Amino acid sequence: MFQLVPVLALSIFVALFGLFLVFLASRFGPRTKPSAVKQSSYECGLEVEKSATTKIPIKYYLTAILFILFDIEIIFMYPWALAFGDFIEAGHGLYIFSAMGVFLAIFVFGLFWEIKSRALDWD
Amino acid sequence: MDLSSLMFYLLAFMAVFFGYFTIAVANPIFSALNLALTMITLAGIFFLLDAYFIAGVQLAVYAGAVMVLFVMVLMLFDLSGEVRAFSRGLMSGIVKVGSALLVMLLILLSVLGYYGERLEIGAPPSTAEVVQPTTQDLAILLFSRYLFAFELLGLLLLVVAVGVVAVSRIKGGTHARD
Amino acid sequence: MGTDILEVSINFAKMVAIFLLMVQLVPLLVWVERRGSALIQNRLGPNRVGPLGLTQLLADAVKFLTKEEFVPAKSHRFLFYAAPVVALLPAAVAFNAIPLSHPIQVEAFEWLGREWGPYTFLFQGYEIGIGIVFVLGVSSLAAYALLLAGWGSDNKYSLLGALRASAQMISYELALGLSIVGILLIYNTFSFSEMVAQQTGPLTFMFFGQETSIGFLPNWGIFFQPLGAILLLAAVFAETNRLPFDLPEAEAELVAGYHTEYGGIKMNMFYIGEYGHMLVASALMVTFYFGGYHIPFITPEQINEFFVSQGQGLTQASLLTALVLHLSFFAKILVFLWIFVWVRWTLPRFRYDQLMNLGWKTMLPWALANTVITAIIVLMMRSSWS
Repeated sequence: MFQLVPVLALSIFVALFGLFLVFLASRFGPRTKPSAVKQSSYECGLEVEKSATTKIPIKYYLTAILFILFDIEIIFMYPWALAFGDFIEAGHGLYIFSAMGVFLAIFVFGLFWEIKSRALDWD
Repeated sequence: MDLSSLMFYLLAFMAVFFGYFTIAVANPIFSALNLALTMITLAGIFFLLDAYFIAGVQLAVYAGAVMVLFVMVLMLFDLSGEVRAFSRGLMSGIVKVGSALLVMLLILLSVLGYYGERLEIGAPPSTAEVVQPTTQDLAILLFSRYLFAFELLGLLLLVVAVGVVAVSRIKGGTHARD
Repeated sequence: MGTDILEVSINFAKMVAIFLLMVQLVPLLVWVERRGSALIQNRLGPNRVGPLGLTQLLADAVKFLTKEEFVPAKSHRFLFYAAPVVALLPAAVAFNAIPLSHPIQVEAFEWLGREWGPYTFLFQGYEIGIGIVFVLGVSSLAAYALLLAGWGSDNKYSLLGALRASAQMISYELALGLSIVGILLIYNTFSFSEMVAQQTGPLTFMFFGQETSIGFLPNWGIFFQPLGAILLLAAVFAETNRLPFDLPEAEAELVAGYHTEYGGIKMNMFYIGEYGHMLVASALMVTFYFGGYHIPFITPEQINEFFVSQGQGLTQASLLTALVLHLSFFAKILVFLWIFVWVRWTLPRFRYDQLMNLGWKTMLPWALANTVITAIIVLMMRSSWS
């Protein structure tokens, strides 16, 4: 629990530091009257067409979901890698290797299938 | 009150606060951002309980991956129609009243649970020395006693991956074939 | 954070100092980048303001602070201001978790009529037991700053930049996470300090159950994980949105990507975040593969003894040792920061489909292969063969 206090303290300090910088800039910067043209979104000098929140085809979606699945599989390899040495020392090296071997085989099959089924193609 | 319980109440209050705004705000993007903040405070609570690995996983997977996906996908939509649908109408009114009732039920349950834990009926439990479990212990348990469940989980993730691709290919999906 | 008021305040000041170290490195890096690009492109770069153009940094800082506050009319004001502040946080929190030098031992002393100490001050913001997982988790939060900026400023270029950035970051996080598994297999610990401690002395490893040593090489991780090191380096280039992976800011297509609408100090805060991530990435590379803060073949104890034999007190000797080792760490980091600049001005930008293919179809399988090969070798070498 004593690991959390400094992290929290630093986060609060950094956030305050950022707000302080923004405050400084607002004090020192020149002030001009706001105008509709100036405050409009930047579109390379053209008139702004529609708002930016229009519908965009979501090809990212599939990539993102597959990322989450693979990310979960990878996070499970961390405790495995951590305990690998302990298992070898206890004489169960082959056991722990094949335990992850099965898991990895499923992982590799999944990745292979995703690539073969062109789910990861970008078009 | 010592520092540890002070930290817990602070984090718990923040988690409930952000959790409330997850359902209270009308804009789905702010809703998702509040949920992300809830996840981060939950990671803090795991830290407080000395469950460091779980805290790290909570940060990396939930806050860093799942919620990023949610926010990203919500940003791709034109949400003005959905915002209106969520904030008006009979159906959304029912949902609101229903969730308020559910929250009250949960609060009642937690009060009952708190009371029940302090009931002293029969012999008190033995106060054996509590050993701090480490990530090493977690790994050893995971790969010895719970190995079968772990391998099944790998299979389940594969099924989900295949299912996601299949669903995205049906008519009306994001990757529908013409 | 400590047991008495002095320890707590020194620990807090230390965290702030490490954060400010990160912040003040940014203008220096910008200078290195501008002069370095000039060197590579055979021109001069900024050389008018002060010696070698160094006071240009000061002028830039003043300029950033005296720019007009600008908020687009249709933007979400709250998100627009929150994004640059959020951009600072992950890099600062992650950088503080990495050990920058040997811990300092302070003997008990008397001050203001009170006994203080003895203390041990770590040369890092805080020691987190799950070091690697913590840093990975925190830096994955950096995607929020880009998403907030992209959506909050209600600009099509910003939104597209933010989407590209987040898709790219999550695609390369897989290769990044997997290449770290190889390191965990070698060191069997999450903690950075323990990893660094394992990298002292000459190259020592188990050869079919026999401890073997090669005298003329330092005991660095790079000799155990050469492929993992290359994969990690490539992945952190993508994570930090640097060329050749700077699609989110591709200035020819997207103006400036997610920070199109930002100017002045707010844009500068995004830069602090980006360079902070470069710093974290370089520090990770050094900690994993290049011995951390250790000087090859010299242990911290030897340096400490040298200073004691020179007539220094124990506290001063410990402090000087930490400073010497910190310089060694910094020299190693600077090499990597230079590689970041060097690559930026040497390689052209990827096309988007090439970027996705590289991440998913090339680096992920190679990282998997690296994990399996490492596991097999570790299993064969560490098992007892008697």
